Amino acid sequence: MECFSLQRTQVPALIDHLRGYGEVIAPHRKGDVSYTFKSVQDSEDVVLDYNRTLLPLKKMFLPPVEKLMDFSLKKGGFTANKVKIEPRVFFAVHSYEMQSILRLDHNMLDGNAESNYFNRRKMSRFVGISFEPDEFHFSESVGIAVEEMEGFDLFLNKVYDDYQLYVLTDEGQELLKGFGGLAKAKPEIVEGRTFKKRIRYHYNRLPRVFQYGYQSKVWQDVADRCVSCGSCTLTCPTCFCFDVNDHVTVTAEDGMRQRTWDSCMLTTFAEVAGGENFREKTVNRTRHRLYRKFKYITDEEGLPWCVGCGRCTAFCPAGISMVDTINDMIQEDEKAQYHKSAKV
Amino acid sequence: MKRLEDVAVHDAQDLYYPTMCTVSQAKQVTALEKFYEIKMPDGQDLGHEPGQFVEVSVFGVGEAPISIASSPGKKGSFDLCIRQVGMLTNVLKNFEVGDAIGIRGPFGKGYPVEKFLGKDILIIAGGIGLVPLRSLINYVLDNRSLFGRLIILYGAKNPKELLFEDEIADWKARDDVEFHITVDNGDETWTGNTGVITTLIPGLKLDLDNTIAAITGPPVMYKFVIMSLSSKKLPDDQIYVSLERRMKCGVGKCGHCQINGVYCCQEGPVFNYTDIKPMEEAL
Repeated sequence: MECFSLQRTQVPALIDHLRGYGEVIAPHRKGDVSYTFKSVQDSEDVVLDYNRTLLPLKKMFLPPVEKLMDFSLKKGGFTANKVKIEPRVFFAVHSYEMQSILRLDHNMLDGNAESNYFNRRKMSRFVGISFEPDEFHFSESVGIAVEEMEGFDLFLNKVYDDYQLYVLTDEGQELLKGFGGLAKAKPEIVEGRTFKKRIRYHYNRLPRVFQYGYQSKVWQDVADRCVSCGSCTLTCPTCFCFDVNDHVTVTAEDGMRQRTWDSCMLTTFAEVAGGENFREKTVNRTRHRLYRKFKYITDEEGLPWCVGCGRCTAFCPAGISMVDTINDMIQEDEKAQYHKSAKV
Repeated sequence: MKRLEDVAVHDAQDLYYPTMCTVSQAKQVTALEKFYEIKMPDGQDLGHEPGQFVEVSVFGVGEAPISIASSPGKKGSFDLCIRQVGMLTNVLKNFEVGDAIGIRGPFGKGYPVEKFLGKDILIIAGGIGLVPLRSLINYVLDNRSLFGRLIILYGAKNPKELLFEDEIADWKARDDVEFHITVDNGDETWTGNTGVITTLIPGLKLDLDNTIAAITGPPVMYKFVIMSLSSKKLPDDQIYVSLERRMKCGVGKCGHCQINGVYCCQEGPVFNYTDIKPMEEAL
């Protein structure tokens, strides 16, 4: 692993250099308080210090709306909309975001591998960047440090006002080819990046808390406040559920089939024709979402499926906090343990 | 966790494109249910197991998961029997012979018939639960000598809702099928049993070590049927159920059919009862 020093002022030139590989997608300002990943037009517009984008990077691999096919009602038959493999660089990506993509890889490519996801992912390169945790980030509690470099080809670690550039893969090496003016540096450890929000237990203890927490009072507490709007799943970088809908043109001669993001928090998500709804109550849904993040997939894969970005909490209109919910579960579990041992 | 480099390009599949098939028979069988026979292009076989399902695709309307009603022994075509209850199925009622219909699949896990060889098969069907079970019944009949007794319990709301009446007559007539039927509410023509399907269970004489029960029906039915079978001391691991969920994509992606931690479209729709017993959301 090589490490170079990179001046803050060299960053736009680096972005321009990366555009030689393909489209560069990076965080930009959106309004006064928000950020978004979008295609770079002017490298000076890229934001390097940001807390989180509104929508996660998954939108570039699983678009919110994606056409699957055009069909003809008049002639019958359809034309598939196949995504081409194109080179793209994702620049200034935070570690939790990269970890979410690795998790999506598992969901989209393990078992039945999906061609459109695969093609979008195939030639994508990732340049990471460090960040200052704000009051919502808790990725450390799910095992992801600010400087976690897994999945990245290059990584920019901010040291005072400048950066240290790590070259992590052959692909990263290839990306830098022809970019001059880099001086070798000795990797420095940056102190003081503390997470203000923490889950009280190490994440390897959470499966046990969830194992006994299915009937917890916490779920109803959350459900009493939840308005089932689906913001948490919409902004979650590891949520991938979708619906498929057909749209017909006004002449009713042809149309298209598209998939759109869906949310297990919405009332009708598990409803079938005839009206049976398998997760009818809000409490069923608030619980299901967290079990998807901390139990069901975790049991199989050994990792929390939450990456601690804090979006579900930051953007929840009802102020429901993921970390507080889990800490409430932990507290309830400890009380139950205490009573059990008192009886012994 | 699987890494991208472990997934070869040829492993990535086009999961969402239907095969265009043709309706080769269409017959309204009750006020709400219509029977279809579907032919694949070039006389291909669907290649399914009893208990699996397909996604039926109608452009402009969408897709819905539908149980396959025929045995794999039926070659060159397969059967569906569809209740008109939702958006897609209400359009399907207008489909006639010669119409093009999109099919994806077969999907999911069917009955592990290799484990059923030599066993007595007890079929318990409530309402349109008979449709998926017909694939198993016909499979057993196609390979009759490989199985023990075939006992069929069928319950419907009323005589007008009975499906596959010709076949029922055949099952009644055969001496290698034990067929029992009941309706919740009889009418002036009805001379058979009345009452819910569980009323047929206490009178059964079962070889408990050697019987497999396959249950399909409306959600409310399972608990009561399983309770009746348990009170006869039929072991849990000899009970199979087929569950309904909103299996929108059929390939374990879209998330709608999750039952706690499993995808009904991947691990099911046919489950061994011991596998779903600990799952709170299953029944």
